[in-house]
Amino acid sequence: MNTRPAPDDRLSAYLDGELDAAERDTVDGYLAESSEWRAERDEIEFARDALRGLPVHEARPGFWEDVLSPDVAKARAGRRSRLPRLVAAGTAAVAVAAVVVASLIIPSPDRVTPRIPALSDSHAVRTSVSDEPVSQLAALSMITPFRK
Amino acid sequence: MAGGVPTWEEVARDHGRFLYNVAYRLAGNDSDAQDLVQEALLRVRKGLERYQPGSLEGWLARIVTNVFLDEVRRRRRRPADSFPEDPDWVIPPAPAADEVSTGFSDEVQAALAALPEEFRSAVVLCDVADLPYEEIAESLGVPVGTVRSRIHRGRRLLRNALVSTGETA
Repeated sequence: MNTRPAPDDRLSAYLDGELDAAERDTVDGYLAESSEWRAERDEIEFARDALRGLPVHEARPGFWEDVLSPDVAKARAGRRSRLPRLVAAGTAAVAVAAVVVASLIIPSPDRVTPRIPALSDSHAVRTSVSDEPVSQLAALSMITPFRK
Repeated sequence: MAGGVPTWEEVARDHGRFLYNVAYRLAGNDSDAQDLVQEALLRVRKGLERYQPGSLEGWLARIVTNVFLDEVRRRRRRPADSFPEDPDWVIPPAPAADEVSTGFSDEVQAALAALPEEFRSAVVLCDVADLPYEEIAESLGVPVGTVRSRIHRGRRLLRNALVSTGETA
C-alpha cells in the first residue's frame, strides 16, 4: 500500500530551511521516491526564486527628501495629532445642533396649553343634546371645600 | 543613534529603501506604497521607545505589513474603496507610462499583486523581507503552521499565474 501523501506545504518549509531534522528526512525520502514530489518542489522553487529575484523597487526621486523634510514631517505629525481633536469637536458640534433642532421640532410639554374653558363648554353642549347618563349627573355636583 | 536605538530619521535614511520595497511589494503600486511608508514611519516614531535592539528590518517589515493589513481591513469596511478579493478576476494595474518595463519582474509583480492579501503578506515577509516563519507568524498573529500553508499556497498561486502568462522556467 502506498502511504506517501500528496505533496504539501512541507515543501516550502523544506526549501526555506524551516523543517526540523525528522521532517527534513521524511521529505528527502519522498523526493527520492516520487516524481510528483520532485515536480511540485521544482514548481514551488521556481516561484520562490522569482520572488526572491525581484529587484529592489525604488521610491520616486524626491520622495525621501519630502519625508525627511522637517516642515513636511511636522505638518504631517500635526495633521495627525489634530485629527482626533477635530473629530471630537465635530461630533460635539453635531450633537449641539441636533439638540437645538430637536427642541425646535418637538413640542415641549410646557407649551401645551390646556383650554379648559373651551373644553368644558363643548362638553356641556354635547351632553345637553345627548342622553349620556353619567354626564346628566354633572348638574347635581357641587363644589365642597376639603375639610379635615 | 543613542544607546542602540536609532531616531526615526536614521531609520528612514538607512532602512527606507528596504521599507519602501516591502511596502511596494505589498501594495502593488507606488501611490499606496508611499502612503504605507509614511504611516509606517509615524508608527516607528511612536514605537521607537519600545523598540528592543535586534532585527530592525524585521521590525520595520512587521510594522509596514500591519499598516497594509489595517488599510485592507479599512477598505473592506468601506466597499467603495475595496480591493478586489477574488484572485481569479483581479486585473493587475497596468504600469504607468513612465515606468520602464523590466519584463519578467513585471510579470512576477503583477502575479504577486493578484494574490489574496493574506497569502501576499506571508509571501512578501518570507521572500522579500526574508523573515523566518516564527517572526512572520508573530507579525500576522497566526500560528506557524498557518504561515507555512499560506506561503506554500501563495507560491503555488503565483507559479500558476506565471504559467498562465507563459512565464515558466
